[in-house]
Amino acid sequence: LNAAPVRAPRQHVRFLPAPAGADGKETGLVATMVPVLADHPLVRGPRFRRLKIGAGHRLDVKSSGVFVLGIGHGNKLLTDLYNCHLTKVYTVGGLFGKATDDFSDTGKLVEKTTFDHITREKLERILAVIQGTNHKALLMHSNIDMKTQEAYELAVKGLIRPMGKSPPIITAIRCLQFTLPEFQLEIHCLHETQQYLRKIVHEIGLELKSSAVCTQVRRIRDGVFTLDDALLRTQWDLQSIQNAIWNCQLKVKTELEKTL
Amino acid sequence: ALRGVLRGVRPPPAAQRRGLAKPAGPQSVRQLREADEAAPVFQYAGKAAKRKDRVFVWGFCYSGALGVPSFVRPDVGWKKPRRIQPTPYRLETEEKISSAACGYGFTLLSSRTTDITKVWGMGLNKDSQLGFQRSRRDRTKGYEYILEPSPIPLPLEKPQQTRVLQVSCGRAHSLVLTDSEGVFTMGNNSYGQCGRKVVEDETYSESHLIHQLKEFDSRVVQVVCGQDHSLFRTKKGGVYACGWGADGQTGLGHYNITSVPTKLRGDIAGVNIIQVSSYGDCCLAVSDEGDIFGWGNSEYLQLASVTETTQVNVPRHLPFKIGKIKEAACGGTGNVALTEEGNVFVWGYGILGKGPKLIETAVPEMIPPSLFGWSDFNPDVRVAHVRCGLSHFAALTNRGELFVWGKNLRGCLGTGRMEDQYFPWRVTVPGEVVDVACGVDHMVSMVKSF
Repeated sequence: LNAAPVRAPRQHVRFLPAPAGADGKETGLVATMVPVLADHPLVRGPRFRRLKIGAGHRLDVKSSGVFVLGIGHGNKLLTDLYNCHLTKVYTVGGLFGKATDDFSDTGKLVEKTTFDHITREKLERILAVIQGTNHKALLMHSNIDMKTQEAYELAVKGLIRPMGKSPPIITAIRCLQFTLPEFQLEIHCLHETQQYLRKIVHEIGLELKSSAVCTQVRRIRDGVFTLDDALLRTQWDLQSIQNAIWNCQLKVKTELEKTL
Repeated sequence: ALRGVLRGVRPPPAAQRRGLAKPAGPQSVRQLREADEAAPVFQYAGKAAKRKDRVFVWGFCYSGALGVPSFVRPDVGWKKPRRIQPTPYRLETEEKISSAACGYGFTLLSSRTTDITKVWGMGLNKDSQLGFQRSRRDRTKGYEYILEPSPIPLPLEKPQQTRVLQVSCGRAHSLVLTDSEGVFTMGNNSYGQCGRKVVEDETYSESHLIHQLKEFDSRVVQVVCGQDHSLFRTKKGGVYACGWGADGQTGLGHYNITSVPTKLRGDIAGVNIIQVSSYGDCCLAVSDEGDIFGWGNSEYLQLASVTETTQVNVPRHLPFKIGKIKEAACGGTGNVALTEEGNVFVWGYGILGKGPKLIETAVPEMIPPSLFGWSDFNPDVRVAHVRCGLSHFAALTNRGELFVWGKNLRGCLGTGRMEDQYFPWRVTVPGEVVDVACGVDHMVSMVKSF
């Protein structure tokens, strides 16, 4: 970044003594534009010594996926994006038959159970119930008076969501793959932590009268940022970062204007 | 001397020390895997585990209609009687309940078993609408309030072969439909709603009389109770009515009471009716071709699309252009209809389910399916059944979810809140809801566990 071309040094007017005349004694003042000494690169030093980087929604050590960062002035946009309360999408992989103390497959084993009675239909039924109760929680935590006409209209369009602090809410959940003992779910949620998602997997196992652990948590979407915009470890260089910021600027601006 | 002995004591040498347990250090990967495989496997449910059938009740408790005695008379002295049960509460029953009906302060549950006890009742019994329940303290008197599901003895000819198909409850009378022995009626008969001749100054409380009705053109397949009248639908598609007719709800062309079930004519004559519904003083019938007919009270614009009069005593066809109608339900002031596509239409007066602005309408208005859980994520959710209480509505989806809306009278909606609900709201029931019965201030649901 520091090697990038810098703006030209400022110029200012200085009254300098004129070059010496024939006899060397005439000292008239001539106005000339001279570069300011304070703008000289050797005086000023490198343009960037520290970068302010802020993080968007937290991501666990055991999880992977899209992680939003803001650089410099972008940190102010981070708070605005947080106040938009957009949903995040995760792919959660689970395994039936085991229960551990921290709900993931690397924890201490608590119990092993049979799982051959589980069918995709039973899993879908449990997921429908989870969606139903979370939809109710969505309406209740949104702090809208249910008796007004505008509450009814927002509910019809599905635009009611909590605009403040609320416990984790799942807006949509569905099963992508189901091959006993493994299964994969796609979860759209608000205000959640990854440990909460692992707990949900464990509770799904309990509801199906068996047990389940979470093997994988991967964030696919965080508000407007999807996997396509995300930079891989090999792409962490200045050019791709600048391109990514440039591509996302428009999306972020429209989203913020829509909500606030 | 003893002190000197103790001073020189030292711990015994290492070879003689007992082998005490060493603290467990961090286990290696192989030890963890072996412990993993050696752990016992528990089985909680086998492959053939069946889903259990349950009954959930909620609403006003003081009448005993919920069937839980501890709500009205607590077991412990310091507990206070519960006035309202705001969320679904599980009711333990001995048999699988196949049909339930809620009346005005009482409930009937019936099962398709061939045992001797087929019907249970609880709640108000001041007009013997639950039969004669002999009091245990005084053998000559009967109970006025029944707090627990108590068996109702029916005078069946073949009690171990006949099955009870359906029950229905009105304001102070109830009907029981069997498969081979016709319809049994009990309760108040001051308007002839039980199908027998009105006896002047008859005392209905502590009465042993259960009347049996058998004279219909074919087998009766559905019985429906209005507030003070009864409707019978036969297999051939005909409808019979008896009871109070001052609002024209008997549909027989006059405003007098009828004490013998008489066949309805009017626009229904010759039409194969597949469903009849009534709860207050208005009645609706759905034909097999998807047409809807109405008669009875129209003070709340229920039948205003065909007539300006407030009472209609002959069944009239309601020309609604909403599609082929599959099911309809009648409430006290509002009506609801369900079409073949799964759309729900409401009309009438009261809290109809489209926000606080829509209070009355004569033309059916559709409730958007997104309120019932339909979305781009779940495009195949649709409403399977609709039911009506006196001032509230209930809808069951094909996923087994129950949605309620309307006036929350004494907690009858079951949402957990005491406020009225202006648009469909989910009721959290731990199971898949198979059927629901709505009453004035309480509801009963039949649920299959997960």
